[in-house]
Amino acid sequence: MIHRKHFSYTPGEHETEAASGSYLMSLIAIIVGLPLPIINLLATLIFYLGNKKSTYFVRWHCTQALLSQLTMLFINSYGFWWTISIMFTEESITGKYIAYMIAAIIFILTEFIATIYTAIQTRKGIHVEWWFYGSLTNLICKSKS
Amino acid sequence: MVVLWFTDKFNLQIKIMKRLVFEGLIIILLFFGTWFALNQIDWIKIFKVQKVTDTTEQKLGELFWDFFKKSEDEISDKNVIEPVSEIVAYISKANKINRDKIKVHVLNNDNINAFALPGGHLIIYTGLISKCDNEGELSGVICHEIAHIELNHVMKKLITEIGLSVLISITTGSGGADVIKEAVKLLSSTAFDRSLEKEADIKAVDYLIEAKLNPEPFAAFLFKHSDNENEAANYWSWISTHPDSKERSEYILDYSKDKLTEFKLILTPKQWGSLKAASAVTE
Repeated sequence: MIHRKHFSYTPGEHETEAASGSYLMSLIAIIVGLPLPIINLLATLIFYLGNKKSTYFVRWHCTQALLSQLTMLFINSYGFWWTISIMFTEESITGKYIAYMIAAIIFILTEFIATIYTAIQTRKGIHVEWWFYGSLTNLICKSKS
Repeated sequence: MVVLWFTDKFNLQIKIMKRLVFEGLIIILLFFGTWFALNQIDWIKIFKVQKVTDTTEQKLGELFWDFFKKSEDEISDKNVIEPVSEIVAYISKANKINRDKIKVHVLNNDNINAFALPGGHLIIYTGLISKCDNEGELSGVICHEIAHIELNHVMKKLITEIGLSVLISITTGSGGADVIKEAVKLLSSTAFDRSLEKEADIKAVDYLIEAKLNPEPFAAFLFKHSDNENEAANYWSWISTHPDSKERSEYILDYSKDKLTEFKLILTPKQWGSLKAASAVTE
């Protein structure tokens, strides 16, 4: 699911720090945003916009961090509103709901671990591409040179 | 040369897009596959969800009944209690409903009302008994309230109107007396959702038919008192909280039309007479 690849150039110290920061930002966003999923996306989006004019390496990793939040946004939002409807409407707790929440937790945990790993690797200057999100980032984020 | 370069670039883009779609689909399938696989496990049983829900309902029922017990006068006259219990027992047995689940309480109140509380508590006011012309009318109203209990309408209404979190806080003792008062008022003096009322009516007719009791008096009771819908709403609680009585009596008759067979009576004329007399005396 995660591939270590060679980037087109060797990033500098400040670049690896900023790129790693984008993952740390999304990591904090995952924790804070669990009850309110939109926070995940907003926090990463702000960090992405802040680094939009940065170097290719930083932009690339900010984009990957942002895109990875999108899937979580859908999964979390659905789970969040399902929970709200159980709390405040006549909807009751079903096996389907519990199965969904466990599946969501498995995915959130997987993303959590992958984010920590990627943050450490990018800090070392190692380029890490995620399954699907890496390819998508390659399509969106282009080198200016 | 330029055409070849463009063709190569186009083919590369197509290849990337195909890979992207494939990887995206794998992620979607992985999530839904995990959900589907997890859905095969009986989580409700594992987490004892039903047990927790039942315990909450039982606790709420006890708290709400306590409220009535303290504020109203419960009838202990066997001329009232025995016939009412006999009707409930007969209907429960005929419809394979656990009799012990239904806890009947008759309260000395001239209000024409009957309602269900969580935990299977069924409250009947003496005012309602004295306004019933025969046991068929009373049986119909009892069946309607049992239907609300059996179809879990009471908890559904409470969760919709008050919210599960507030209900749980009541059971843990942090809800406060005002919330209990509000919830009790909600159950005793407001109607259920129109669709729930119709569902309870239809179920009540099913119960009556299964018990070989005539549903016509139930329809007649609604029709007869439908004129009171707009007047003295406080007094005719059961009618005013169950609007469109005429329409309801019509669909009850319509639904039971082809199901009419030979009917029985549960009480003897003497028992019914004593029940009416005792209810009238206590008013």
